[in-house]
Amino acid sequence: MATWQIDQPQKLTFDRVRRVRVRTARGGVSVVGSDDRPTLEVSELEGPPLQVRHDGDQLTVGYERPSWPGPLAWLRQQRRHLAVLSLAVPRDCEVDVEVVAGSLMVSGMRAPVRAKSVSGEVTLAGCAGQVEANTVSGAVQAHGVAGDLWAETVSGDLTLVEGGGTIGAKTVSGTVLLDLTTAAVQDVRVTSISGDVTIRLPRSSDLQVQLQTTSGQVASAFDELPSAGWPALRTVSGRLGAGTGRLRASTTSGHVALLRREPDVEELR
Amino acid sequence: MSPVFSHGMLRLYLLKLLDESPRHGYDVIRLLEDRFMGLYAPSPGTIYPRLQRLEAEGLVTQSQEGGRKVYRITEAGREELHRRQDELDDLETEISGSVHGLAREIREEVRGTVRDLKQELKQAAREIRRQQRHENRSRRDWLGDYHRWDPHDDPHPAAPDADAAGPRLEGRLREFLAATDQLVQRAYLTEAQLRECAAILDEAFERIRGVLRERR
Repeated sequence: MATWQIDQPQKLTFDRVRRVRVRTARGGVSVVGSDDRPTLEVSELEGPPLQVRHDGDQLTVGYERPSWPGPLAWLRQQRRHLAVLSLAVPRDCEVDVEVVAGSLMVSGMRAPVRAKSVSGEVTLAGCAGQVEANTVSGAVQAHGVAGDLWAETVSGDLTLVEGGGTIGAKTVSGTVLLDLTTAAVQDVRVTSISGDVTIRLPRSSDLQVQLQTTSGQVASAFDELPSAGWPALRTVSGRLGAGTGRLRASTTSGHVALLRREPDVEELR
Repeated sequence: MSPVFSHGMLRLYLLKLLDESPRHGYDVIRLLEDRFMGLYAPSPGTIYPRLQRLEAEGLVTQSQEGGRKVYRITEAGREELHRRQDELDDLETEISGSVHGLAREIREEVRGTVRDLKQELKQAAREIRRQQRHENRSRRDWLGDYHRWDPHDDPHPAAPDADAAGPRLEGRLREFLAATDQLVQRAYLTEAQLRECAAILDEAFERIRGVLRERR
């Protein structure tokens, strides 16, 4: 086991990392999958030193817990904790990152990813493993997430570009935008209280669709799907194509819109 | 900062790729993926509009070859590229020199894509909602006099003892509306069913009107 105390910007390399766990307060954390040696780059640092521990194949980055001055004191202290760090780790390395107010970026991973932020934004790009993203007010944006995605926010917006597979998205007041491109949509489930939900599907999809809202409005570009509700449409549900996958969205007061992808966007495929 | 720049430097990079040789859109995407070291592949949905934008600016031209579009840089495109060669070099150094630079570039790219998509889908959603509201309104009109009936038009003013009975009937009507609304929400109403229901409502309305006339 090796440990480091980092008090200024610097770069560390390690021989083997299979799991990485990061806990920081402000600033930002990026993790990218790489075939090179695992690297930790600290490019900005303010406040107390960062503790880095490499134990077997687990890498842990965070702050030392203060001797007990009460929970509030620790929260107050966090304001000074700023760290901007970037990690390059093998693509099959498990990633578990939590920051308080910083932004998070994870890209090019095949292993499970857990990304959590309170007010920072979470960005996911090109991830093939299971991904779990969680924020309070920060936005979650994902592009090219091929594995299972579970994303939850309170007021942050959720946006997924080029999604497929199994997706769970839950928010209280954030807007949810899903642009589903692949035919391999298995199970997509969106829940929102007051945030609007907009989902775009390819022109030909094989899905069992179920959209509903309590007091919002449901709108669908797929006229073949039966709809109901008066004075505004409240549900749209039915089958598209073979109906092999499942798409469910429900809101309390948010609007739900189901859109059809224009052909010119698909032209390059 | 111009909107193109907030997309990272992708625009310049597209020009650079087309300067090397004319390419299909698909090749461009594959090369961009290499540039991000396989970590991230920009989507056709984001590259295509940008190529179109470059074409509109006169920096590239496009032609059909073998059923696919091939993009070529123009003289104006080359000039733009050479004028900003330094920026491009800086960017390349940053991306290959540090994880931080690479990560930042990917994040900017995803951010730009997400922003574009948000704008596009939000507008499309608004549009379709507006359309559907309109259609639903005409569907409602189809239900006939029932909803257009305005009590002020009624030629028979209420008798004094209606103070008690009138509100009770209104209460019943509200209950009826709520209950029916629930039924309708649960069912998937077809055109034929709608017509039948509308006929029932029309008939009920006529009969209620008859009863109220009689009482006078």
